[in-house]
Amino acid sequence: MTRPPQAQRVAEHLIARACRRLPGEAGNERYREWAAELPAILSDSDVSSGMRRSARALRYAAGISRCARRLGRPGGRPEPQASLPARPGFPVRRVVTGVAIYLSVVGLVAGLAAAWPGRPVLVPVLPAAACFAAFCLADLARARQVRYLPKWGWAIVCLIQIPLGGIMYLAAGKVPAARPEPPAQP
Amino acid sequence: MKLTGPLERVLRVFLADPSARRYGYDLMKAARLPSGTLYPMLARLHDQGLVTSEWEPSSGDAGGRPPRKYYQLTGEGIRVARLELAQAADAAPRAVPGTARPLPGSAP
Repeated sequence: MTRPPQAQRVAEHLIARACRRLPGEAGNERYREWAAELPAILSDSDVSSGMRRSARALRYAAGISRCARRLGRPGGRPEPQASLPARPGFPVRRVVTGVAIYLSVVGLVAGLAAAWPGRPVLVPVLPAAACFAAFCLADLARARQVRYLPKWGWAIVCLIQIPLGGIMYLAAGKVPAARPEPPAQP
Repeated sequence: MKLTGPLERVLRVFLADPSARRYGYDLMKAARLPSGTLYPMLARLHDQGLVTSEWEPSSGDAGGRPPRKYYQLTGEGIRVARLELAQAADAAPRAVPGTARPLPGSAP
């Protein structure tokens, strides 16, 4: 049985990452507490198969991640809207750069397709586009706040116009991370 | 304290045996709550002084297992929990038949 240890490693990694949101010693202590539950989950005799125990451990780690996000906010639940950085002007330069990147990517792909008419140039491009969209969505999901559109709005934009929407999100919608405390390494 | 469904389940689990120390996964299973709901709740109860936590002594039965953190209601916590559950039962008479059964699965 190689699966449980692997699930444990992945879950520990997720928990460690979640605990970095918590300040200093609290993060370390929470990490020890939460990671110590994993052996109990992975050896739970009430759950029949190893696969399902692993899935449960991963769900547990995902819940921990949500929990740490909540605990990491100073006043408890509400999002600290007051501490939003003063809204800067529309980031024209970043958007222009984004459009330039988009045009060069499209131009490159179109050029390649034109150069080898018979070759299926799109075959490597499609997985790359999917990865990029997934990256943008993951980044969006982890972001505490975004600008100009609500999160779901950016998610739709990222999905509808796959390379450009994601580039626009990264260029305009993403709020640069400004962490009050240095992340603690558990 | 606003008695939500998940909170009610956790309090029931604790009250089933107020002297027992429960660890996180134990509570998750007994109250049928995901970790993302349980731990923020425990943190809140802890801040309100209704729950205490302590680390398992590392020399315990273990078997290579890392020490766990255990949770338990404080005296005040037991009092408040009983009060809240009694009030909830008064407010919703149809819930009464279930109140005596703090086993997993009994919660609505």
